[in-house]
Amino acid sequence: MIGERRVPAEIGTVIVGGGIVGMCLAWFLAEEGHDVAVVDDGRHAGTIANAGGLHVQLQSRFMRLYPEMVPEFERTLPFYPRAVRHWQALASRLDEDIGLAVTGGLMVAESREQYEFLEKKCRREQQLGLEVEMLDRAALDRIAPYFADSIVGAELCATEGKVNPLLANQAIRRKALAAGVAHCTETRVTGLAQTSGGFAVETTRGPMRTGRIVIAAGAGAAELAAHLGLKVPARAEPLHMNITEATEPLIHHMVQHADRQITMKQLAAGMVVIGGGWPATLAGAAEHPTVELDSLIGSLSLAQHVIPRIGSLRLIRTWAGVNTSVDGRPVVGPVSGISGLFFAIPGDAGYTLGPLTARLVAHSILGRTPEMAIGEHTADRFNS
Amino acid sequence: MLTLVRIVDGAARAIRLIHHRLGTSAGRPMSIQHPQTCSHIEHSYKSGDPVTLDVEGQPVTARIGDTLAAALMSAGIAGLRETAGGERRGVFCGMGVCNECLVSVDGRQSQRACMIKVSGPHTVRRQAFQVLLPAQASGAAPILASDLAVRTPDLLVIGGGAGGLAAATVAAGAGLDVVLVDERAMPGGQFFKQPGAAHRFADAIAIDRQVAEGRARIERARRAGVEILSGADAWGAFAPMTVGVTTGAQSLLFRPSRLVVATGAYERGVPVPGWTLPGVMTTGAAQTLLKTDGVLPGRRVLVSGNGPLNLQVALELARAGADVAAVAELAPRPGIARAGALLGLTASALDVAWQGADMLLELYRRRIPVLYGQGLTRIEQADGSLVASLGERRFEIDAVLMGYGFLPSNELLRALGCRHDFDAARGHLVTWRTDDCETSVSGIHAVGDCCGLGGARAAADEGVIAGWAVARALGRPVDHKNLSAARARLVRHRRFQTALWQLFAAPRLHAERAEPDTIVCRCEEVTLGAVEAALSDGLPSIGEVKRRTRLGMGRCQGRYCAPVLAALLAERQGRPIDALAFFAPRVPARPVSISDLVRTGAPR
Repeated sequence: MIGERRVPAEIGTVIVGGGIVGMCLAWFLAEEGHDVAVVDDGRHAGTIANAGGLHVQLQSRFMRLYPEMVPEFERTLPFYPRAVRHWQALASRLDEDIGLAVTGGLMVAESREQYEFLEKKCRREQQLGLEVEMLDRAALDRIAPYFADSIVGAELCATEGKVNPLLANQAIRRKALAAGVAHCTETRVTGLAQTSGGFAVETTRGPMRTGRIVIAAGAGAAELAAHLGLKVPARAEPLHMNITEATEPLIHHMVQHADRQITMKQLAAGMVVIGGGWPATLAGAAEHPTVELDSLIGSLSLAQHVIPRIGSLRLIRTWAGVNTSVDGRPVVGPVSGISGLFFAIPGDAGYTLGPLTARLVAHSILGRTPEMAIGEHTADRFNS
Repeated sequence: MLTLVRIVDGAARAIRLIHHRLGTSAGRPMSIQHPQTCSHIEHSYKSGDPVTLDVEGQPVTARIGDTLAAALMSAGIAGLRETAGGERRGVFCGMGVCNECLVSVDGRQSQRACMIKVSGPHTVRRQAFQVLLPAQASGAAPILASDLAVRTPDLLVIGGGAGGLAAATVAAGAGLDVVLVDERAMPGGQFFKQPGAAHRFADAIAIDRQVAEGRARIERARRAGVEILSGADAWGAFAPMTVGVTTGAQSLLFRPSRLVVATGAYERGVPVPGWTLPGVMTTGAAQTLLKTDGVLPGRRVLVSGNGPLNLQVALELARAGADVAAVAELAPRPGIARAGALLGLTASALDVAWQGADMLLELYRRRIPVLYGQGLTRIEQADGSLVASLGERRFEIDAVLMGYGFLPSNELLRALGCRHDFDAARGHLVTWRTDDCETSVSGIHAVGDCCGLGGARAAADEGVIAGWAVARALGRPVDHKNLSAARARLVRHRRFQTALWQLFAAPRLHAERAEPDTIVCRCEEVTLGAVEAALSDGLPSIGEVKRRTRLGMGRCQGRYCAPVLAALLAERQGRPIDALAFFAPRVPARPVSISDLVRTGAPR
């Protein structure tokens, strides 16, 4: 039965990739009357693996690691607060609770030097329009009285938050299906070519003909673009994630560190999700996302170092999420010279940027003016 | 005659004790002490010493060396952890797998009552779904995996049951440096489980052949020089050859030259209305309570399921004084149709067959009916007891035992990338192995039930075979006579096991007895109805059903629900059941606390 399932032979729009971007975009287009199919391989899309942090402030660790890329980071900064507003707008249109909580994010400092770095970052972000402020230890304790003695203060970004990806993905999928989207799961695109009227798409469940194709496949975009002779340097960045058993409400903010690889947030049900960009691997021919011992020990050790009280919690699961990294910027909108082809890749922090990216691309497809200029973020920058 | 007197006497003592405990609310009052100021650290207790626990503010008498589960159960306390939905759960698997019997002990949350021993006048509290955090804690300095102590023995054996002990004993006897890690407080595994020092009728248990044989095997392993680490959790395995182990005192990494995985099996879960009620447990759990601590799961017991273990445990409980209402056996009454299976029993297996006939005879003499072709259909809570239904027949009892066969604990092997194939006849994954019990990954051997069910006898001989294979691989001389004898015995054990399965052949239950509101995933409280809804929406893969319903995301890692879901997916969507039909193996193999994982401990 599974083997016989076929994709629709002809459809107006094919979206490759059923992650947060692809499903939101499918919904947005379908509710405007378009017939849309989402084709998803289902192996390691963002759908599967996200941690659900909604990031806004600049990640200081990256700024310290790649100082030459700071201007790029700053160029995309305006996307982030807007992306969180899109999440809020989206949540209000869904039929169920998705655990969205814009309760703010804390980036903690453990030394005078780190604190001063955050102060500089904070001033710059304020100039760029973010709602950020510095908290000394006493002020920090008033809103988050659980940090280790070694923490000297933090930068607070009021517009950061979290969402439960398992709930959000289901709710969005239901909306998309209700709007008439065909969701072709466990289907891999194996070939893609331009035809006179659009595109011929080869899949593991049969061929499709379509007038428009949107590549929303994260790191898979590189291979898909190559079918059309295009270059999009999207890379898979498998990252380690941990989740604990549920505990009493403690951590209301999303927590990050000024200089160490650690992020923590607590889900509404009580589980603490611990990440921070520690690497995982794609193992074997099937590229199965696989966790690494070094990342597990390193991330959990930092977690209990920053918030000692969670040391008593038991780790119940780890997984490898797959982030997509390009050049620090999104790849969105049409491509010069190939009519009907669009990209929808958020770049870093893909889950945060998902609904916004989908909205920008939807407007671009529908011929409306996107709410933010996307001209400098198209795939043309790699294919001039 | 003397032994019978001992059994009866022991049972009578156990019953007196249980009666005494059920009425202990007026027991010795104790001042409730804060765990920090509690003096039991300095106080030197001996095994078997009575001690008063503070359980939810009530005094409960226990003995030093009891498992906490046994102490609570003998005090009539069955309902332990609270679920997110507000239900109570009690001891279910009795072997550390299901995580249903979690309690807080002296302020430490999420302790498995079935796995920890009473060592002082503990303060025991029920715990809510959202566990409590300590009011204060001091974190440790950040470390990396490279800061953890690494041990590099010639051979690491995981699991201290029949197979693991045998492999370790042979390899150590051949002159290798062997470490055996075992999750339990005492080696012996499930088949050779050993009585606790505080056992209530140690005399009666001492004459149990199985216990005596296990004791001798453990002794042989120690004499051969095997270093046994008890209470050590092998929480994760990382390719190519690293195993993470926490001992409570230290987080260790093992990088042995060779690895033998002997992690055994656990009982299959069969969702039936009411199967999550406290007092409903696996047959193995009841046997452990009895053999380890001399505690009955309840006074009136119904045993249900499939296979000879149920008959054995029913008898053991009856001998210890339980009122066994019936044994419900899914298989039809043995008849001519299955005489062929009996003919398949070889001469060497006749001894065991005779034991089986003896068991049936004794059940008959004790007027314990064996109801063939019947299985549980429902369990309900009644006033202070349980009512179990087998179709129209209803039994008012205190405990229901479910023994519907076993599933291999193959999570470490799967994490290491060892090849597995689905065996439709046995209904579970089987580890691919050479004749030397080596897996598809060079240097990793696997023995016993974790590779596919075969029983403790086969496990022990596979252990011998793997032990010699490791010895040979590391350049030690092999005792070929000993090895050939093990191979010959293994052939007989396997033939016997096959015959036994034919004798007890029964339809394998998955969700057939569940109703829409019956919980399939015990941890996340996912009902059959929710699973059906997810299944009928498109043609989701197992991973997609997991993400939609949260089935399999809890503490037991899907051990009970994943096989049920795999069977449903096969039935509804025609998906093949193969290694991909189950959840991908996840680290950790068992929940483990963050502090324990990053505890560098004292350098060796």
